[in-house]
Amino acid sequence: MQLFLEYLFDGISNGAIYAALALALVMVFRGTGTINFAQGEMALFTTYIAWGLTTKNVPIILCLLIATGAGFVLGAVTERVLIRPIERKSLLATLIVLLGLFLALNSLDGILWGNENYTMASLFPNKVSSFVSVGGARLYWANLGLWILVAVIVGAMFQLFNHTRLGLHMRATASNRESASLSGIAVGRILMLGWGFSAAIGAVAGILLTPLSPDSLGVGEMFPILIQASAAALLGGLDSPGGAVIAGLMLGVVEALLSGYVSVIGGQLEEAIAFVAIVLVLLVRPQGLFGSKEVERV
Amino acid sequence: MTAPDTRALPTLPLQINQGSPTHRFLQVFGLVLLVALAFLGSRANSFQVGLLTQALIYATAIAGLNLVTGYTGMLSIGHSAFFGIGAYTTGILVTERNWNPLTTFIVAFALCFIVGLIVGLPALRIRGINLALVTLALAVAFPELIDRFPGLTGGTLGLNVTLTSLLPPHWTGIGVQNRFEYYYWISVVVLALVLVLCANLTRGRTGLAMRATRDRETAATAVGINLAWIKVFTFGVSAAVTGVAGSVFAMYLGSLSADSSFTLTLSITLITGLVIGGVATVIGPIIGGLAVIYIPHWTEGIHQGETEGLFFGVILIILMFVMPDGLMGLTKRLTRHVVRIKPRAPTGPRPSDEELLVAHDQIAHPDPEGKGDTTLALS
Amino acid sequence: MSLLEITDLRGGYGPSMVLHGISLSVDEGEIVVVLGANGAGKTTTMRAISGLISSKGAITLDGRSISGLHPDKVVGAGISLVPQGRGTFAKLSVEDNLQVGAAKRRDRAGVKDDLEQWYEVFPRLAERKKQPAGTLSGGEQQMLAIARALMNRPRLLLCDEPSLGLAPIVVREVFALLTRINTEQKTAMLIVEQNAQLALEIASRAYVLETGTVVTEGTAASLRDSDAVRRAYLGY
Repeated sequence: MQLFLEYLFDGISNGAIYAALALALVMVFRGTGTINFAQGEMALFTTYIAWGLTTKNVPIILCLLIATGAGFVLGAVTERVLIRPIERKSLLATLIVLLGLFLALNSLDGILWGNENYTMASLFPNKVSSFVSVGGARLYWANLGLWILVAVIVGAMFQLFNHTRLGLHMRATASNRESASLSGIAVGRILMLGWGFSAAIGAVAGILLTPLSPDSLGVGEMFPILIQASAAALLGGLDSPGGAVIAGLMLGVVEALLSGYVSVIGGQLEEAIAFVAIVLVLLVRPQGLFGSKEVERV
Repeated sequence: MTAPDTRALPTLPLQINQGSPTHRFLQVFGLVLLVALAFLGSRANSFQVGLLTQALIYATAIAGLNLVTGYTGMLSIGHSAFFGIGAYTTGILVTERNWNPLTTFIVAFALCFIVGLIVGLPALRIRGINLALVTLALAVAFPELIDRFPGLTGGTLGLNVTLTSLLPPHWTGIGVQNRFEYYYWISVVVLALVLVLCANLTRGRTGLAMRATRDRETAATAVGINLAWIKVFTFGVSAAVTGVAGSVFAMYLGSLSADSSFTLTLSITLITGLVIGGVATVIGPIIGGLAVIYIPHWTEGIHQGETEGLFFGVILIILMFVMPDGLMGLTKRLTRHVVRIKPRAPTGPRPSDEELLVAHDQIAHPDPEGKGDTTLALS
Repeated sequence: MSLLEITDLRGGYGPSMVLHGISLSVDEGEIVVVLGANGAGKTTTMRAISGLISSKGAITLDGRSISGLHPDKVVGAGISLVPQGRGTFAKLSVEDNLQVGAAKRRDRAGVKDDLEQWYEVFPRLAERKKQPAGTLSGGEQQMLAIARALMNRPRLLLCDEPSLGLAPIVVREVFALLTRINTEQKTAMLIVEQNAQLALEIASRAYVLETGTVVTEGTAASLRDSDAVRRAYLGY
């Protein structure tokens, strides 16, 4: 039982991160119609910024705020400068620009902060003894704090989408960009906001995730996370924010339980298995579990 | 009133009729030039020849990717896996079964073709980004799969191909010391064969169907082009071509390690090369191959090589803004102002539905560059 | 001075020019109709006014130039377009669709009142308040699109082919609605229509477009009465 709970706790933590990033990916997809391949690298970049600030003895909360703000700006600027001019050309062109951003940011991390791995300070008490006992298993404060913070963020996003004017305008833009424009919505600003929020969410996710293991801040850190988050977004349905969150959590928990109990699977084969499973789901249900079918007119 | 001087200077662009003696001369000249360049390349020192060989191998791999992404519009981030399958096929057959490496090329081609067909099957139901993400999974899964079967593949320790099997045979007259020349020529020949294959494939009805799938998928279905066949088949051929490039790579490198050579990074490199060279062109992959080998080489000195990613990233972004059809596209656009090949007037049988579709498309959307304008075409 | 004044409008899509010098005007409270065959440039004209495509030539509202403005600024100036095909936000609820129409408005109480008013005018929309708008019938979506556009309380309503794809009975309802709005709210209207006969019944003036220019204009009555014009341009 104890083992199960510990796997479960790990799974929920990972799942929460996947959920947050998947939500970010879906937000961008709905607004702009593309997957932000560079999402993980943006999150990593801002995590490095936060880390850099912690080494200058800036209080961690402030680091979080600054890094989140930086993420927001990074996302909004990317949309305005890189995406908006290119998306009218084609989907492939947009994907390639994002691929380029991915490469550039990742390389930039190495140039600015070096290629070693660093340990990131945690928002929550993170000593070996910082846990509470649940059913015999250890629930670390860092994990609990992560769950709560992610839940707050996700909750805030849903509140924004469904109960505010801005959220309505974002949903309208995602539904039909031209009609939104014709109704008086400043579509450009909405798109920038969407990307900004996404990158900000990514920033927080990065800062929450990295402290969970020592020495884990390195240039390769976010990439596997991005893959899992993309898998979750696909599984949930690329146009369903709720689906992304649910799928992310599911993925995290299943992954943790599988890698815990089934020792044949270990390391990164989980990613491959996750993807294969999702391919199968997509074959049966191309719009993902919670997405909506698209009718294409000839 | 004097008659106008009809011997005035020719106006640009020069019109050359397809099939005319001038055209034939240009083609032969181009061919001779390429062969001369190839010979020139082989005269360099071993390091340079090695670099060039790698470039040509990558060019071959990119030519494969071009079929599926450039011509048919399906973005694949998984071609590193096909490259790896080809490489390991050759590596294993040579090392375990003592095969002649050149014969393994054929096996690699066939095997990758089949794997490509299988990978192409999801493409029937899944499109665009979703498909790209699925191919991403392939790229990520491949190194892991290799590591899981150390008995066959050497696992994380890697596979060393027995050197003696890779040596140039006597009839080539190349000694052990100069075996790099042998690998060079193999890469040249393989690339040439591949380019001929691709050129033929993309010129005929298949090529039309590919482009129709890329540009006007729903319309193509309506006209009855069998999309299923095209998508799956293209994936197969594309994988086979990239796979054979992997085989040559195995010969050249002599030792294989999935975690260093056949990861997602390779897939991204191939895409980068494709874009730099120019999608849906025959020469583009060559330029792309040269670019992805030489640019990192030149930037190696800067900041301990960390800047390679930054360079490529920035190049990709800038390219999409100013030159989405790559260097080859730019070249074509520039030369159109100087020289233009006029196609023969059709005298053959009534055009097929596919040809009508494409022709109608071109009338409705004047598109002299032949780039197409929706979904996955680049610009 | 007219409410909307267009002079020598030229524009199109990329390299292909569709409009070759359109001039027309709409006065306060008028219903003006734009007729012509497919490809004549009717929709392009609407899109140019709305700022969806770039164009050369003068477009003024109340004397102020709106040429070159982004679509959302055009809406802010007081022009709403009901696009061809209705442009419904299919995944949003009916109520959300209407709320979006009020995107430029700051008076929440006024928006609420307008919503109530539309629900009274369209009980069917009220019934389906929370339903995704994509599940409505074509006629209902057309009503919704018009209501959405009017939520902006525009000075000028542009309608692009309101009858498209609708059964004749429904078309009559739509036109009756437009007439009613025009009478009660004094909203000026510029309506593009294929169904010339019906359109001329509710309009005061009309323009006929052909290959990007205005070939005939006049009062609706005079166009209706001219056999030559009807046969040559209006198809009946």
